[in-house]
Amino acid sequence: MADMGEKYNTKCPGVKRLMREAMELAEATEEYCARPLEDNLFEWHFTVQGPKGTEFEDGIYHGRILLPKEYPMHPPHIILLTPNGRFEVNKKICLSISGHHPETWQPSWSIRTALLALIAFMPTPAEGTIGSLDYSPAERKILAKKSRNWACPQCGEISNLLSSTAAKPITEEEQSVLSQIAFKGEEEQTAKPPEDPAHDVEPQSLESTDNTTNFLDQLTEILVALLIGAIGIFIYRRWNVHETVGSDDL
Amino acid sequence: MADDASSSSACTGNLVDNSVNQDELIMKQQREIEKEISETIPLVGDLEPLSTLESEYTEDPIYLLKVKDLSAKYKYIRRTRPDGNCFFRAFSYAYLEHLLTDKTEYNKFYEIAKNSKEILVALGFPQFTVEDFYETFMEVVQRVGEQAGGSPEAIDPVRSELHDKFNKQGYSDYIVVYLRLVTSGQLQTQHDFYQNFIEGPRTVTEFCRQEVEPMYKESDHIHIIALSNALNVGVRVKYMDRGEGSQVIAHDFPEGSKPLVHLLYRPGHYDILYA
Repeated sequence: MADMGEKYNTKCPGVKRLMREAMELAEATEEYCARPLEDNLFEWHFTVQGPKGTEFEDGIYHGRILLPKEYPMHPPHIILLTPNGRFEVNKKICLSISGHHPETWQPSWSIRTALLALIAFMPTPAEGTIGSLDYSPAERKILAKKSRNWACPQCGEISNLLSSTAAKPITEEEQSVLSQIAFKGEEEQTAKPPEDPAHDVEPQSLESTDNTTNFLDQLTEILVALLIGAIGIFIYRRWNVHETVGSDDL
Repeated sequence: MADDASSSSACTGNLVDNSVNQDELIMKQQREIEKEISETIPLVGDLEPLSTLESEYTEDPIYLLKVKDLSAKYKYIRRTRPDGNCFFRAFSYAYLEHLLTDKTEYNKFYEIAKNSKEILVALGFPQFTVEDFYETFMEVVQRVGEQAGGSPEAIDPVRSELHDKFNKQGYSDYIVVYLRLVTSGQLQTQHDFYQNFIEGPRTVTEFCRQEVEPMYKESDHIHIIALSNALNVGVRVKYMDRGEGSQVIAHDFPEGSKPLVHLLYRPGHYDILYA
């Protein structure tokens, strides 16, 4: 954290806020833990315990939190990395209020709010929402068991990341907020060229964490390009043949 | 035909590049539009003579009459960025600017502001984040207090500092957030009263979560009534629209108070007025 102070303008309210949140969340709890990457205050990794009494209860799930430069005016994005059967992995999902009022993130919510809401939202039906998966409870249970051995390339074995300390209890106010928060994948995500996955959301360091996905995306892109090119040439040839044949006929 | 074929093949040959560029171009354009708005319209602009308003409406006799009426009482206007936060931004800028010249009012306001956090925490707002907004808000308020009621030479540097802070997105938005919270706090404390203003089946708390606390949500009468009551600050809003007559109607909040902040309302937007 000392390094962060030198790297970022601590006078900037958004930076100050994230540093405070990092302090608040510094100690792992049994329900969740989260902390910024060593070199980027605007990208965090988190771990959550699957909600009790559900098919996720044996699971531990790890992921990334991407904070827009406008945070806390704009909401954080969450990317799950551990296969869980509820959310697609490696896909940006965002918070919204369920029902008719999407996009009403409030600056007085925090990363803790987002994590608690994520835990609370896991057992809700997927209902075909973007970024959601509708695996059967049995499949989710298998994934939950497997998740305990999952390791993050940066954070290591995720089962070591949580502690046995109980988290700060959820207040009544928080509870009423949590019950309203929904998560869904970002619609524009698929239409985005993969060269620009971060958009203007993350300031730096995406390459370092996302090498494999980026590489795969690029590979797919190249293959698609080749394929479309080939089809183009094919059609062109067909046209030429057709035309030659046509004029021959005349 | 041969020409058609070759030109279409030229397109097909570039299809991949084009399609990628298209997406990119659209997104780039969108970002540029947003960027342009934020670059061309400052969060809070410089003082401009009211005549600049006239030039906006050279073709519009109804508005011209109203601008004329307005210019009988006001000489200057300060525009704010139309981002849905304009009421809160205009109000806080104009009020803090006034406090620089009015130590008595500042002392009164300081007490109210100082106690506002406890009210919010007692209502169940998360202490952790409320404190964050409160501290930044109070930092700006206290800076005003250091020179409030001082000589013009002492005030001027603070005035331009205030202008800078209001145009720094981070600070400026933090002030807006805090005032949104204060507004929400007032609505919830007096929910029996404010329930009457809310249309439809929403409760006051729901209304606050959906229309008051989130950023970029536009302000209505109810927001102004609540904020002016919470801080005990008189606000006069001049409503300029296409309505009948040549007069610009004024509303004072709270009713009967002495207005210290003067705002111009045009459908969907608030700017600051100066006598």
